[in-house]
Amino acid sequence: MQPNDRLCPRGLSAGLAVVVLLAQGAGAAQAATAPVANGAAQVAITLSGEDGGRCAVSHTEAKAGPVTFTVSNTGATGITEVELMRDNRILGEKENLAPGLPPVSFTLTLGGGDYKVYCPGATPETVAFKVTGAAAAQPTGTIGALLLEGTKGYAQYVDTTVDGMVVAVDRLAAAINAGDLDAAQKAYAQARPFYERIESDVEGFVLPGHDATDNAGNLDYLIDMRESNLDPAVGWRGLHAIERDLFQTRAITDDTRALATELQTNVGHLDRLVPTLDYKPEDLANGAAGLMEEVQSGKISGEEEAFSHLDLVDFAANVEGAQQAFAFLTPGMEKIDPALTKQVQDQFDRVTKMLDSYRDPNALGGFRPYTPELRASDAVTLSKAIQALQEPLSRIAEKVATAG
Amino acid sequence: MTRKHLSDAAAAAALHLSRRNLLFGAAGVGAALLPAAAGAATPQPAGDLIDLTARHPFYGHGPQAGVMTPPQRHVVFMTFDLTTQDRGALQVLLARWSAAIAQLMKGAPIGQVEPDRPEAVGLDTGEALDLEPAGLTVTVGLGPGLFTEALGLAAQRPARLRPLIDLPSDALKPDLSGGDLSLQACADDPQVAYHAIRDLARIAKVTGTAATRWTVMGFGRASAGKGQATPRNLMGFKDGTRNIVEPADFDRFVWVKDGPAWQRQGTYQVVRKVQMHIENWDTAQAVQQNAVFGRTKITGAPLTGKAEFDTPDFARKGPDGAPVIPETAHIRLAAHETNDGTKILRRGFNYTDGINAFGLLDAGLLFISYQNDPAHFERLQARLGAADALNEYISHIGSAVFFVPPAPSEGSYIGAGMFAAV
Repeated sequence: MQPNDRLCPRGLSAGLAVVVLLAQGAGAAQAATAPVANGAAQVAITLSGEDGGRCAVSHTEAKAGPVTFTVSNTGATGITEVELMRDNRILGEKENLAPGLPPVSFTLTLGGGDYKVYCPGATPETVAFKVTGAAAAQPTGTIGALLLEGTKGYAQYVDTTVDGMVVAVDRLAAAINAGDLDAAQKAYAQARPFYERIESDVEGFVLPGHDATDNAGNLDYLIDMRESNLDPAVGWRGLHAIERDLFQTRAITDDTRALATELQTNVGHLDRLVPTLDYKPEDLANGAAGLMEEVQSGKISGEEEAFSHLDLVDFAANVEGAQQAFAFLTPGMEKIDPALTKQVQDQFDRVTKMLDSYRDPNALGGFRPYTPELRASDAVTLSKAIQALQEPLSRIAEKVATAG
Repeated sequence: MTRKHLSDAAAAAALHLSRRNLLFGAAGVGAALLPAAAGAATPQPAGDLIDLTARHPFYGHGPQAGVMTPPQRHVVFMTFDLTTQDRGALQVLLARWSAAIAQLMKGAPIGQVEPDRPEAVGLDTGEALDLEPAGLTVTVGLGPGLFTEALGLAAQRPARLRPLIDLPSDALKPDLSGGDLSLQACADDPQVAYHAIRDLARIAKVTGTAATRWTVMGFGRASAGKGQATPRNLMGFKDGTRNIVEPADFDRFVWVKDGPAWQRQGTYQVVRKVQMHIENWDTAQAVQQNAVFGRTKITGAPLTGKAEFDTPDFARKGPDGAPVIPETAHIRLAAHETNDGTKILRRGFNYTDGINAFGLLDAGLLFISYQNDPAHFERLQARLGAADALNEYISHIGSAVFFVPPAPSEGSYIGAGMFAAV
């Protein structure tokens, strides 16, 4: 067998073989229309190790209709995924394409137009792909439509959560005004989860008349600031200042009452501002990832609820909020990447199951207090479970932002 | 600057000396500046010159790199627990790891650092971007817990792979022991080794296959390879004077020769985290320290000899009738002469974890050995753990054993053969 035979079909003239070789050398691919088998045009994509990673497409044209892309990696160690794109939106893709794994394929029904095969890390990274024939009619129930629906559902979830917070903070203020420490501690525990479920969506609000760097107008500062990040010019306000009074000094003073009244006002502002938010699908994904960062940085360290030790209550609320955001993306995500969707779902299940083992119906907030002793023995296990969720979750934003 | 593909770092260092990338080992500088303290100034062995452009191939038809490779200056060792019993997921992990290691050993990122899409997270974390390959090797080990019925791998278990037996003086901590997978990243630049482990740990998490278990970051190799001067452990003694260096000894004591094809040219990796009670050791008399090892500290010579490589005379007695090398001396109990010829390849590193809960220096030896049967390590450690005079100053606090399969050929991945065999 001549070396050239591997690069072009048998029976081609020697002259054409040279042309094909040159074209491939320049990073382009064979321009012939893809042959149809099993009712679909067949296109082979081969990742190889030359030039630090090449992405060769067997045919760069296909007739409109079903097209099957079969991807094999013979030696490209720096390329792990291949996507078919149109107008920067991902229509189909395959991941985990390491050398030695069996070939994988995906089939798409494509209308006429210009597409691109995108191989991140290859030289070159994109290969033009043309589909001839009628343009596809826009079907209903597209990924984009499913994701859009998800963002609307999620917006409602955030609104409802803040409505719940208004009621819970009113109860907290009532207990404080009545001077009932025991009732106020219980009301504090009940008021905490609402904000923790949605905080990565709502932490950007600035009250009118303040600039963005002024903490006196920063609604997140006024509602949820911890002792570790205080701004002396503004002082300590909000839920955690109340936590200090209720759980450390254990005394309700006039200052506590003033803090509670101010908190009611600020949560009222929040309630009016939240319906103005408009979400893109990636905002849900980034919000969920942000809540997991909150768990790692604030809850597992025991810093969030330094006086009340309600960190596991907040932990569970962060997880619930992230899981809700992900759930609203799930109908779309299942079409984009079912394997990743299942992986994230499984990791959420593991985390919730783990959290269930800390439930205690008699404890404030329904979870065991996160004491220094519990932290010393369990922090590593908790952190690892979140890590295993964080990495796959962090890949969702890109998926939904580029889905078509 | 051109990067050469190098299989022999020692030859490479001799051939491609570039001023920017050439560092002298600390021992070499010491010898030049302090001839009186260090004895006669001897030329630096070629294997002790560091060439940060050195590269080792990942793919091949023999053993994995990082075993016979002359030890680099730094290690990051990490083990992982499998978090799935999905056979396909394990295949994907080993294939993704293999591809990524091939990139890393070339000094290349494993993927985009700043992805084209603003919504995406980087695949490579970037901290090794401007660094040379630094002789990086990443060696993958498969633990006993991998060969289960659920994964369809029970029949593929290497014949001698099993958890180590309980050994005398073991003070093992569960959170510093075991693991279903191991990664040993060695390099002459610690940041290169750390980057490799960090990015490989991310792949384990993003594929949902494995979670980190324990790790040790080691420095200042504590054993020599061919062409290297014998380095010192944190007790100040030369470590590995009688180590395996010749290919014939590797063939006899290190490489696996039997079993299915995917296991041949493999080896067994034993890892022990050995804590040193530094403060106690430092207050032991010099003569007592020498008696504990059976060697003199500065020259490394056995107590019965004058130079480091003099063969110890275990039979010789002193004027008092007692053996010159005491019965409980470390080198006597570990010697092949007193163990029916048993030899293992040691490839350890010093480590420190800072200061412990009692305010004491927390440091020791990350002992790593390679042998064609873990029972050979057990045999030696059973004697040492029972009687070694050194036991007063050390504790074995971590332990694990792995099978290290041979290198994959290009286009394949580590351990692929165990999935093909039915």
